[in-house]
Amino acid sequence: MSIFTPTNQIRLTNVAVVRMKKAGKRFEIACYKNKVMSWRSGAEKDLDEVLQTHTVFVNVSKGQVAKRDDLSSAFGTEDLTEACTQILAKGELQVSDRERQSQLEHMFRDIATIVAEKCVNPETKRPYTVILIERAMKDIHFSVKANKSTKQQALEVIKQLQQSIQIQRAHMRLRFVLPARDGKRLKEKLRPLIKTVENEDFTEQLEMVCLIDPGCFRDIDELIRCETKGKGTLEVLSLKDVEEGDEKLE
Amino acid sequence: MGHTSLEKIIALQKKTPHIRNLCILAHVDHGKTTLADCLVASNGIISSRLAGKLRYLDSREDEQIRGITMKSSAISLHYTTGGNEYLINLIDSPGHVDFSSEVSTAVRLCDGAIVVVDAVEGVCPQTQVVLRQAWLENIRPVLVINKIDRLIVELKLTSQEAYTHLQKILEQVNAVTGSLFTSKVLEERAEKDAEAQSSCTENGSGDQVYDWSAGLEETDDSDLYFSPDRGNVVFASAIDGWGFSIHQFAEMYSQKMGIRSSVLLKTLWGDFYLNAKAKKIMKGAQSKGKKPLFVQLVLDNIWSMYDAVVTRRDKEKVEKMVTSLGLKVMSRDLRHSDPKVLLSAICSQWLPVSQAVLSMVCEKLPSPAEISAERVEKLMSVGARRFDSLPEQTQELKKAFLDCSADETAPVIVFVSKMFAVDSKALPQNKQRPLTQEEIAQRREQARQRHAERQAANQSAESPGAGCIATPINRCITEALSVKTAVEEDNKEHFVAFARVYSGVLRKGQKVFVLGPKYDPSLALRLPEGCSAADVLPSVPHMACCTVDSLYLLMGRELEELDEVPTGNVLGIGGMEEFILKSATISTSPSCPPFTPLNFEATPIVRVAVEPKHPSEMPKLVRGMRLLNQADPCAEVLIQETGEHVLVTAGEVHLQRCLDDLRERFAKIEISASKPIIPFRETVIRPPKVDMVNEDMGKQQKVAVIHQVKEEQTKYPEGVQVDSTGLVTLTTPNKMATVGVRAIPLPEEVTRLLEDNVELIRTMEQFSLFAWEDKTLDINQKILENIQEFKVKLESNLQGRKWRGAVERIWAFGPRRCGPNILLNSVEGYRRPSVWQCLEREKETEKAEIRDFDNSIASGFQLATLSGPMCEEPLMGVCFSVETWDMKLSAPLAQQDSIDEDSQTAEPNIDNQNESSDTHETNASSASSNRSRSGAEAAGSSVDCYGPFSGQLIAAMKEACRYAFQAKPQRLMAAMYTCEIMATAEVLGRVYAVLSKREGRVLQEEMKEGTDMFIIKAVLPVAESFGFADEIRKRTSGLASPQLVFSHWEVISSDPFWVPTTEEEYLHFGEKADSSNQALKYMNAVRRRKGLYVEEKIVEHAEKQRTLSKNK
Repeated sequence: MSIFTPTNQIRLTNVAVVRMKKAGKRFEIACYKNKVMSWRSGAEKDLDEVLQTHTVFVNVSKGQVAKRDDLSSAFGTEDLTEACTQILAKGELQVSDRERQSQLEHMFRDIATIVAEKCVNPETKRPYTVILIERAMKDIHFSVKANKSTKQQALEVIKQLQQSIQIQRAHMRLRFVLPARDGKRLKEKLRPLIKTVENEDFTEQLEMVCLIDPGCFRDIDELIRCETKGKGTLEVLSLKDVEEGDEKLE
Repeated sequence: MGHTSLEKIIALQKKTPHIRNLCILAHVDHGKTTLADCLVASNGIISSRLAGKLRYLDSREDEQIRGITMKSSAISLHYTTGGNEYLINLIDSPGHVDFSSEVSTAVRLCDGAIVVVDAVEGVCPQTQVVLRQAWLENIRPVLVINKIDRLIVELKLTSQEAYTHLQKILEQVNAVTGSLFTSKVLEERAEKDAEAQSSCTENGSGDQVYDWSAGLEETDDSDLYFSPDRGNVVFASAIDGWGFSIHQFAEMYSQKMGIRSSVLLKTLWGDFYLNAKAKKIMKGAQSKGKKPLFVQLVLDNIWSMYDAVVTRRDKEKVEKMVTSLGLKVMSRDLRHSDPKVLLSAICSQWLPVSQAVLSMVCEKLPSPAEISAERVEKLMSVGARRFDSLPEQTQELKKAFLDCSADETAPVIVFVSKMFAVDSKALPQNKQRPLTQEEIAQRREQARQRHAERQAANQSAESPGAGCIATPINRCITEALSVKTAVEEDNKEHFVAFARVYSGVLRKGQKVFVLGPKYDPSLALRLPEGCSAADVLPSVPHMACCTVDSLYLLMGRELEELDEVPTGNVLGIGGMEEFILKSATISTSPSCPPFTPLNFEATPIVRVAVEPKHPSEMPKLVRGMRLLNQADPCAEVLIQETGEHVLVTAGEVHLQRCLDDLRERFAKIEISASKPIIPFRETVIRPPKVDMVNEDMGKQQKVAVIHQVKEEQTKYPEGVQVDSTGLVTLTTPNKMATVGVRAIPLPEEVTRLLEDNVELIRTMEQFSLFAWEDKTLDINQKILENIQEFKVKLESNLQGRKWRGAVERIWAFGPRRCGPNILLNSVEGYRRPSVWQCLEREKETEKAEIRDFDNSIASGFQLATLSGPMCEEPLMGVCFSVETWDMKLSAPLAQQDSIDEDSQTAEPNIDNQNESSDTHETNASSASSNRSRSGAEAAGSSVDCYGPFSGQLIAAMKEACRYAFQAKPQRLMAAMYTCEIMATAEVLGRVYAVLSKREGRVLQEEMKEGTDMFIIKAVLPVAESFGFADEIRKRTSGLASPQLVFSHWEVISSDPFWVPTTEEEYLHFGEKADSSNQALKYMNAVRRRKGLYVEEKIVEHAEKQRTLSKNK
């Protein structure tokens, strides 16, 4: 190439196009990159920081401006700014690189936080820190899926993490009181769901304090409710069985 | 002098009066280790050529690289003077402020100290510190003024100037000693006064005569000061290998000039001059403009030597000097191109530094036998306890200390001041020794056999005989295995206790008591009389019995094994890691008190969170941190509730060393250190009266605020109603229950009260839990009284119309059932048993019924208080008052069961369930309001599309609390440190600058009596404390040292959601007002860390994005 060749084609850079189909017509507006999401989330309040121009186009790259009649039929107004905000709020767009990156980053952090909150190191009964979980997640090459909820992904990643580090969901401490009649029968049924029994008292009633995996809570709850016909009580003593307070290593 | 044999040292160890235990103390880089090198070289352990360059006692790699000492290490030296042989146990200590704990451990074991001062730099902060340390431990110091060569070569002072300079340094050192002395006298004086005063009041005598003379005049302090004519000062240049005391010159010149050496000794230092005509020594050199005697006789000689050798390189003159001094210099040195080599060759023969220092040490410093009674008492009386209050048997041990006898009968008393890790390779047992003749022969035989076998195997392999081949292979495998186990053993760190025998003889294989620092000798008195460590004893706290595994002589980098160590010696004890954590006392008598804890000048304050690079290596890290904790007297290691492993060190350099140790020795894994997580709390406050520019919020603006609230209301999702007073009403998704909640700030005192009484609340909670099950829990009377008192205090703090009867109506505490937040039952017509029922047990009032799902409401509250809406941190000091709670559901039991079965079999069939819930509602009105609990459980089980009802109610309650919280002015609370800073007057300004930069607030500032130190008390947010200690030390050149202790939570006054609303505020803060909002910064940092949504733009300025790609 020579030093400088003038191009006869003007490229659109720093432009993000938001499209919307309404009343059978296609409308587009020209926005700045990485700004539309901020506008939608409410972080950006200045419209001029989002819109390149307060004009509604039919095709941004060709520079075809939408007709006034079409606008008023579609949006019920001739005010361009009003139409622009409507398109901004509801139109479809290609999420730009930085937006996607920050979204995934947030989700990754969020997943790590959820995992750190829910899990403990089974040896010490102490939680792992978020940074450590993040590193472990990177080690097993976990990738975030933007269309799945973070909680769902967190539960998945716990299973994967168990292969590389010592991690376990923090146990829930439950106490239930069962009438003597059902006690024996139910105990057999509950046994596979309970991790450890801390305290058991079978005098008039069966009273038990035990640790369970939080995933089994629904099952146990249902079991007790159905089998005892509502006579048994179930109480959550603590949602997470973790060591409390600081400990000095000695 | 040749290499001293081990036997010689063992023999010398038995002669207690000829032992000197001493340490070298100084500011960093004043030449401690170099001086130690010179002393070590005198014993032939290292070459005298290398002395000063090798830094023999700096055995760690990072010590050598950085050029600073990081640990104290000991070496035993042998010295002969005047027909007497001495054993000198020398301990080199670090000078850097971060390692002052190592200095403490060294000072404790010594009887004397060599204080080294740089002749150019003079008295530095650390010099003051070590002098104070030596003073506090009652050990006698001697002074070495080092680096005199720098005065000649670098500063190019004349000998006269150098003399005045040295005088000044000496004065500075003496000033420090003097101030220590005065502060001690004043302290004693104050104590005496206090005693006198108390006795005065007892006597009731009216007139008090105050003696203003402060007692300074009466106390003699002349023996404290350093002065060359008293023989406790040496002038030296350790790097060039020379040093002298006035003694040497006095002897030299007394022969030459015919003046008695005692006269010369007195006049050589000071304002005296030599009258050449009269051959007399006269006073007043300065006023007459004459050269002082010291300059004329001593310094001039050295100056001319340097002039000839270094500056002018005058060969002839050098030769002349050498011959006149009667020295022999090797021609190799004479021809060497570097004049320093020649210089040190001459000087080390002329005025060997080791000679000067060691003779001074032997003369001036006490032997272990001369331990003073005062020091013994100080060592034995732990904490605030006075010596007299100790049990009698213990007091008797004082005699054993003073006698310091190595008799068989004397009780063994040993103090361990630190544990240090040694590679198992370095232990003498595992050291490679030259093989004896027989061993070599044996090995050769083995090798020959193996060779023969191999050949046999080869031969048999040719012939098909598989069985024969197997044997050598098997052998190989077993050999490999044994090698492997050996390697594993090698990796283990061994700990050696750094200790000193104060009385008796410690033998290998002896059974002894190990007494921890908290051991109380009075407990031992209950033991049967005359028992020894060999007997089986009932366990006493902080006491253990063990056998002495191995004893070592500490020789710098090496350890030599010993069989016994008599009194007064410094030694290493192996195999104690099970029993001793950091320091301990070892004794054969159980009545021995533990020694007073070491005074650490620096407390650990630099906190970092440590994590392994690979998360799977967590156990290794924990193990490593345990070892580190044991090996380092000053490092602290903790696991926090958040799961962080926090390492607390004394300073940045210390931190670096600890991390290196962890990486390379103890954990042997890659680790990363980061800023620790900073906790916050969330709270609400009363609506502020003034705005950000301190303008009174007028009516008009209030309207604006309300308007704003209304605007915000649109943000709330459907189903949430917020009225203008902050009452939030929320309905569960299945429209069956409605709760109304209001958030109220608790007064500060109440919050504090709740925080302080966590244990009581927990007991109460337990009681109500049992009461619920119709059981009782026995609580002892004392606790009941405490609870009663707590209740009264709460009532007195919750005054006013708003809080009427509030204490009785408390529903729960949270989070975790015992936190500093309150759930208040303000539902009309609902009386539930109060949390105080343990107090009313006897009264047996009418039993208040518990409504169904009472527990769900409480659980919702617990969840809400555990993580607030601002950044998911726990709440603090918030009261949630439940004002309304309507339920419209119930179901007859019979019907319920069938539905349950249905819903189990066909759970996804939502239509069916909706129908069933409809039937519930129709029945609701007919059902009685007084249902049994079990019935309620059943009712709650009606499974609809929103999950179990109890869960829905928990969620609804949690959300209601969160919205109620948001309806009030929210604030963030920061954890605060109280920070105590000791600083001298000249750096006060800079201390203030650092404090204010980090949002600290000074509470008070006062002068420490009798010194020139100021004590500043300030509070500092924990969030700003990272790197604070380092910054303050840097800015004040080490003259101020802070100490940080967590104190309390404090509300950050700025509102994180604040935006300017009035004209003035716009003017003052600008449109965005993001520059000054500290609370917002903290909040966003936490949210970002947790992956929560942060309201900020990805790109600040849209136009400024890189728009153009390359010419396309």
